[in-house]
Amino acid sequence: MKQKNKGKIVIYILTVIVLLILLFPFFVALSTALKPLKEVYTSPPHWIPHKLWWRNFTDVWTKYPLAHYFVNSFIIASGATVFNIILCIPAAYAVSRLKFYGRRTLLFSFLVVQMFSPIIVVISLFKIFAKLGLVDTLSSLIIVNTVFTLAFSIWMLNGYFSTIPIEIEEAALIDGCTRLKTITRIILPIALPGVVTTLIYTFITAWNEFMFALTLINTAAKRPLTLGLYDLVGRWEVQWQYLTAASLFAIAPVIILFILIEKQLVKGLAGGAIKG
Amino acid sequence: MISKDQVVFKPPGLFIRLMNKDLTPYSNYSRKTTFWSTESMLAYLLLLPCMAILIAFMFYPIVYVFLMSMYKTNRIGMLVRFIGTGNFRALFNTREFWEITIRSVIWTVLAVSVKTLVGLAIALLLNVDFKGRKLARTLVILPWASSVPVSAMLWQWTYNYDFGLLNYTLKITGLWKNPPHWLGYPLSAFFANLYVDIWIGIPFMALVFLAGLQSIPPNLYEAAQVDGTNLWQKFYYITLPLLKPVLLIATLLSSLWTFNDFNVIYILTKGGPVNSTDILITFIYKYAFTFLKFGPASAMAVVTFAILLVLSLIYARFYFKIEREQ
Repeated sequence: MKQKNKGKIVIYILTVIVLLILLFPFFVALSTALKPLKEVYTSPPHWIPHKLWWRNFTDVWTKYPLAHYFVNSFIIASGATVFNIILCIPAAYAVSRLKFYGRRTLLFSFLVVQMFSPIIVVISLFKIFAKLGLVDTLSSLIIVNTVFTLAFSIWMLNGYFSTIPIEIEEAALIDGCTRLKTITRIILPIALPGVVTTLIYTFITAWNEFMFALTLINTAAKRPLTLGLYDLVGRWEVQWQYLTAASLFAIAPVIILFILIEKQLVKGLAGGAIKG
Repeated sequence: MISKDQVVFKPPGLFIRLMNKDLTPYSNYSRKTTFWSTESMLAYLLLLPCMAILIAFMFYPIVYVFLMSMYKTNRIGMLVRFIGTGNFRALFNTREFWEITIRSVIWTVLAVSVKTLVGLAIALLLNVDFKGRKLARTLVILPWASSVPVSAMLWQWTYNYDFGLLNYTLKITGLWKNPPHWLGYPLSAFFANLYVDIWIGIPFMALVFLAGLQSIPPNLYEAAQVDGTNLWQKFYYITLPLLKPVLLIATLLSSLWTFNDFNVIYILTKGGPVNSTDILITFIYKYAFTFLKFGPASAMAVVTFAILLVLSLIYARFYFKIEREQ
């Protein structure tokens, strides 16, 4: 009994150490965001603010165009999510339910394609968007975010559709349902968790995207959050108590969304390697 | 499709089976899938919009990068003159390219091995049943759940030499009396970048391994217990072999992500000081959009594409293999 207790204590100590290390920068952000300017820039620094300075969390909205960045990120992420889902539902239905020449090859290539770094194509994409007159527009970011989440979304949805017993669909077809109706009335409601996972995944990916924004956006007013904050870091008069506050605002929504889909995401990525 | 009289004369059970044949994706080998059957027509129709987008904004750009890598380009990326393998030869003759390629390999190997080991350790820890385990599991996810560019910015502040809390904490806890100016020097900057990449990658590893551990049947351990094995033997003879597929797929995925990590390096150091922390991915970007040398940048992109293609083909083949074995 005594030994068991000792083991428990060791486990707790180890867990606390792991968490302290993994959450370190978030603690730093919190500590800095709660300090007044004078305390932020003292050397050596200190962890606990002498005076809790909550004002940073409200001031940052007036000091920086944070609301603007939020709106831009929201437009880009929801635009990409809408396009992604419109394109990937029919495609995922085709690869999971219909028989056609090249089906396996296509599925295979979706898995391969989702691993490509966007860096490989950013050079030519820049030229394409320049030709289309889309450089420095939010539309260009909506397009690239749609394109680069598409393969994985189809892959995830395919997994969900494949788990639905074919008999349900058959029964509906016998009863005179059209294909379209079997998709909208049967497949989609059953696969709703999968569709939601895909939606959230696309939204998060687009929200966090940085490289394309850096390349395609010039105008300050069109910057999404990631680029907007990055630009503030680059300035010499950067005030970290505001920036950390802004960062916490920026990551809060995606962290919540991510935790909702994390299990499905891991399953989709590791496939048969993890059962159940 | 089934003709009308078949439906009338055959018993319903057979009808269902026939319908099954039409709908089940792979169970039917008797009917050949011809290119123009109505079912494939529908499939191609449904795939058309998505494929059109992928071809226009993914495949065409890849082809164009290949094309560009064989041309001399001007400062706005226009093709000037066909030079065949000229860009590649010039690239392979520079020392910097090889240095950066080797650094990319070291970067990937180091980061992935640490992520794997630490991820496995955390998974083993979280696999123990204790109060608050669920909360700990959720908190462990945070580095992965957070936005990478924003995390990188937070780390930049954390690493700050004068006001950063990292060096201060290292000093007061006595872990490191004289910590370096992290982002100021080539070697320490490399490790500072590497650490952030590892930090972001650990949660995925821990979660995948945890899922793998939890799918190992507990009666195996009970049987081993009866045979009088110790903890290490249980780990080595039961856990490790059964975890092998998870280990393989997770390290492959992680290698791809690590090799592709642009955000951390670009935001923390921009590859500096003096290109000392660049890996291929950031170097391509710098070559194209800072130096405006689009031809050589494309050549490098082609090389990187080849490396990534090999890695992702291995991943996809392996994924399909274990999927079929299930």
